[in-house]
Amino acid sequence: MSTLASYFGQIMVGLGTALSLTVIGFAGALVLGTILAVFRIGPITPLRLVGTVYVEVLRNIPLLCLLILFVFGLPDIGIVFDLYTTVAICLALFNAAFVCEAIRTGINTVPVGQAEAARALGLTFTQSLRTVVLPQAFQSMIQPLVNVFIGVLLGSSLASAVGVMDLLGVAQFINLHQAWGIGLFAAAAAVYASIALGMGFLGGRLERKVAISR
Amino acid sequence: MRFARTKSTPTRLAVAALAVATLTIGLSACSSGSTGGASATPTDPYDKAIAAAPVAPASLVSQNDWAKKIKAAGVLRIGGIDTGPLFSLKDPVTGKTTGFDAGLAQMLAKYITGKPNTALTTTTVDTRETLIQNNTVDAVFATYSITPARATKVAFAGPYFQSGDAIMVAAANKNIRSVADLAGKTVATEANSTAVTALESAAPTVKPLLFAQDAECVAAVQQGRADAYVIDQSILISDAVANKKVKVVGKPFTTDPYGIGVTKADPAAKQFVDAWLKKIEADGSWARLWKSTLGTVVAGNPPTPPAIGSVPGS
Amino acid sequence: MSSANRVLFDAPGPRARRRIAVISVVTVILIVAAIGWAIELFARSGQLDPNSWVEFTEWPYVRFLLNGLLQTLLCTVVSAAVAIPAGVLLALGRLSRNGLIRRLSGAYVEFFRSIPLLLLVYVFVGGLPAIGINVPVFWKLVIPIIACSSAVLAEIFRAGIRALPRGQLEAASALGLTRSQAMRKVVLPQAIRLVIPSLVTQIISLLKDSTLGYAASYPELMKSAENLTAYTHDLIQTYLVVSLIYVVINLALSQLARYLEERQGRNRNVLRGAGSRRVRRVNRDVNDVVLNAQ
Repeated sequence: MSTLASYFGQIMVGLGTALSLTVIGFAGALVLGTILAVFRIGPITPLRLVGTVYVEVLRNIPLLCLLILFVFGLPDIGIVFDLYTTVAICLALFNAAFVCEAIRTGINTVPVGQAEAARALGLTFTQSLRTVVLPQAFQSMIQPLVNVFIGVLLGSSLASAVGVMDLLGVAQFINLHQAWGIGLFAAAAAVYASIALGMGFLGGRLERKVAISR
Repeated sequence: MRFARTKSTPTRLAVAALAVATLTIGLSACSSGSTGGASATPTDPYDKAIAAAPVAPASLVSQNDWAKKIKAAGVLRIGGIDTGPLFSLKDPVTGKTTGFDAGLAQMLAKYITGKPNTALTTTTVDTRETLIQNNTVDAVFATYSITPARATKVAFAGPYFQSGDAIMVAAANKNIRSVADLAGKTVATEANSTAVTALESAAPTVKPLLFAQDAECVAAVQQGRADAYVIDQSILISDAVANKKVKVVGKPFTTDPYGIGVTKADPAAKQFVDAWLKKIEADGSWARLWKSTLGTVVAGNPPTPPAIGSVPGS
Repeated sequence: MSSANRVLFDAPGPRARRRIAVISVVTVILIVAAIGWAIELFARSGQLDPNSWVEFTEWPYVRFLLNGLLQTLLCTVVSAAVAIPAGVLLALGRLSRNGLIRRLSGAYVEFFRSIPLLLLVYVFVGGLPAIGINVPVFWKLVIPIIACSSAVLAEIFRAGIRALPRGQLEAASALGLTRSQAMRKVVLPQAIRLVIPSLVTQIISLLKDSTLGYAASYPELMKSAENLTAYTHDLIQTYLVVSLIYVVINLALSQLARYLEERQGRNRNVLRGAGSRRVRRVNRDVNDVVLNAQ
């Protein structure tokens, strides 16, 4: 295993790629997913439709299909991003659908009376969402959103299937040389798992911190 | 190789032979290879090659513990892929897997059990060695390059084939003609092939791009994501025949010995498979199989198989 | 779906309606234009060549894909049938008053929702056979899916349970229900309804988990697509068709869930006589207590 040290640089680059893909993908998904959620619960019918169709299509395609279609299909309509950018865009687009649903689930858990009360006080759609519904919905959104984050992280490992040298890609690359087999894959997986576990832990703490006792 | 699809006509094969003739180092004596004849069952050259392969005398099998177990099971459990053109490709129409590797596996199964019955477990780069070590499969036929690192985990029978990586570029590309021109370029290859390690020694400044499938590598070249695609020449040729937007350039620049991976725990395995390889190479079975698979795109006579045990690790 | 949706805004007035109409038209025009433009470019690069599509009208190829689909569905149904009840149990375990059960369920959930599914598949493919445990290929894929998705489902159910007002549980125990009765008859039915959107999402991702079949040598739909691509070289076409199949199947799944959700809701109102009298009384009494408390 001493030769593992000789791959240290590559492994770190791979880890960096995996993490940056995850962070960019999740941030993009969060922004787009929130917009979609507002579309879906808002008053403008075509936007509701756009939100619904988007979620129904995107969350129903396997990420690998989406990646292959984007990487090899987009150039045919004249759009060529480099592979890293393509994967980041795919992760954001794909997970936005899940963020949207997590937010909707969260809003669903707020008792109807709260929204009615907000409206009775004369708050507008935006005001009642921002000041009454979303703050209360936030607590029950945390776990689903942590799930989405973990989904982005694990999904980012598919980047290696379309030629991006993320952590898993580096592991496979080393395997070609050293034939360490599943052991090396397990090591890479352990890294993913510990990041995910850490996020789950942080999510749990955050959830308790913002808990509203009813 | 079978081309059951309507659009893959014998003409296409003829074009293939032509293209290859102008391209390769091979002999100019163009073979009049019978192209996918359609009549009674045993006329298909591939089926004929399998049908003509030898069966071991019962005494030979019973003397070998490894082969005896396989004969008792009635089926040879192999590891490999079924998405590899020319080597091991599943025909969605018939459900049968054919190709050079697939054919060898069927011949070995027939040699041991009397019938060419194999059970395929698909493998990845991660799982190949493990599946042999944990006895999920009896043998791996997967364009499996013999390397000393791998030989510490599994035993290699063979080499049974000397592969040579060549270069594919976009049809309009005039800058890349040989491996020397690859310096600093982005080169696609399949993630489970050893082409990437071969490239590192032949052209150290190459930026490799690993894709899962052959079709993806071709698309990457066609769309300019990669400047070139490097893999076994016969695979490149068959791709270039199907797709006019890419072409194959230069001569093969590597010699990649493929072996059959078997367990290290039982020396009888390697010994048995090596002896079988010598037999089918001597009696013409190997050449017939080559002719009906790789020979459908590569012109000329079958090459001479590499000597058994001739490379480090075998 | 959400009753909160409808109370968040007023019915639009004439000016708002006009604005909405304008936005509608613009949106539709933009979308149609974008799709048309994409198709045009697609055709120009030769991807619409009928030769590349003809295989999807030929029965042997269709049959090949259908067979992959069947394997995918089989894997999904079996996984869901085990993972959903397991998820409920785990969620209850995490909320149990018994510290040991709580900690064990917590550890299980945190562990299995964090490790990559592929690793678990590899354990069944590579690790366990080494110690003599070699399950059939189907289970090499399905057991890992169950293990991982039951953990994620547990988190979803837990979120639903915790989102219910505490008063529900308190009211139930005030009525003399034991904790387990209260959970079963009061909390869970409401909690599950609350999380149906997330639940459907999770079942769909469970279906998509079966795409890891390639690692276990299981011939599901994605693996079939790979085979088809290798044989026909029609990469984009095959994956477009396969994506479409996934979308249609999953849409059907979500429609089914929505139908069940609505039917369940209606039953409670219309068919008041359904269910045991005791459950009915509990539900009514709990609601009364909650109303009084508020």
